[in-house]
Amino acid sequence: MKTPVSVLRLPRGPDPNSRGFDPNSPRFIALCPTTLSSSSSGRADEEEQRLRSDLRERFLRTLLSMTDKQVEFNMHEKVRVRARFGASDIDVLNFQVSDLETPLGVQKEALLRSQDVISCSFEL
Amino acid sequence: MLQWSDRSPQQWREFVNQEVCVTARDQQRFEGRVFTVDPVSASVVLVSFPEHERPSVKVILGHAVTDVQTLASGTEETERRMKSLFLPDRTQVLSKEELKSRRENLRLWLEKNRVPVTEDGDVLRVASVLTISAPYGTGDCSCANEIILARVQSLVESIPGGEHTSLS
Repeated sequence: MKTPVSVLRLPRGPDPNSRGFDPNSPRFIALCPTTLSSSSSGRADEEEQRLRSDLRERFLRTLLSMTDKQVEFNMHEKVRVRARFGASDIDVLNFQVSDLETPLGVQKEALLRSQDVISCSFEL
Repeated sequence: MLQWSDRSPQQWREFVNQEVCVTARDQQRFEGRVFTVDPVSASVVLVSFPEHERPSVKVILGHAVTDVQTLASGTEETERRMKSLFLPDRTQVLSKEELKSRRENLRLWLEKNRVPVTEDGDVLRVASVLTISAPYGTGDCSCANEIILARVQSLVESIPGGEHTSLS
């Protein structure tokens, strides 16, 4: 179980021609100004923004405390895998992990799609 | 009630510090205290403190959450306990004289490096855009400009005597 296996498939890198900002990402589509309601007042927006940044900061601290820890990923069809957490991307769409333990062997580096993951747990 | 990922930040905020039971897509149930709900992915972060074991954290991805039920509300004590897991707390408390000498040390070091710094009560102001507050460590610099912040931070970090590196 511990012998590393060779890389089966390399993930696609970011678009080399843009600055990294993707107008088709779920986050942009969700928060795009044309879809936000125009009836809300300025003060309500400020309050909502403050709440958002507060919640987001706490989440980023959670991710920070998760780095380099052994994390168990709970995926579809009751699949559970353990790995060392590396990083997440800004939209929480992918997780970069190391030493992913799979039935095929240990993958040195892997990218997990967040749509495939139901939950992840770790100890502090 | 709207689907979990469509709710507003205000509604998510209601759940923070509450003991909840989260039902996930495949009928799995997770219990714990809500630390936060990520506004980008609607993911719920639950913390639990089992007896005689290390605290465990579960992150349930937003797309998998079908229902969240409150079991019990939290107190200031539970909030503080949760926060202390993630936020670094300052364990070192310095006296007024020590703070003064640290401030003076840092001011002289910055002046030696030709950085325009002035003293403004208890804080140091660099070029009137960056502020360094007690205890004058690397993590105590605040500035709106990231480039200036990075430059000044590396200066503070490299002070001879090595006492201004981050305390934690």
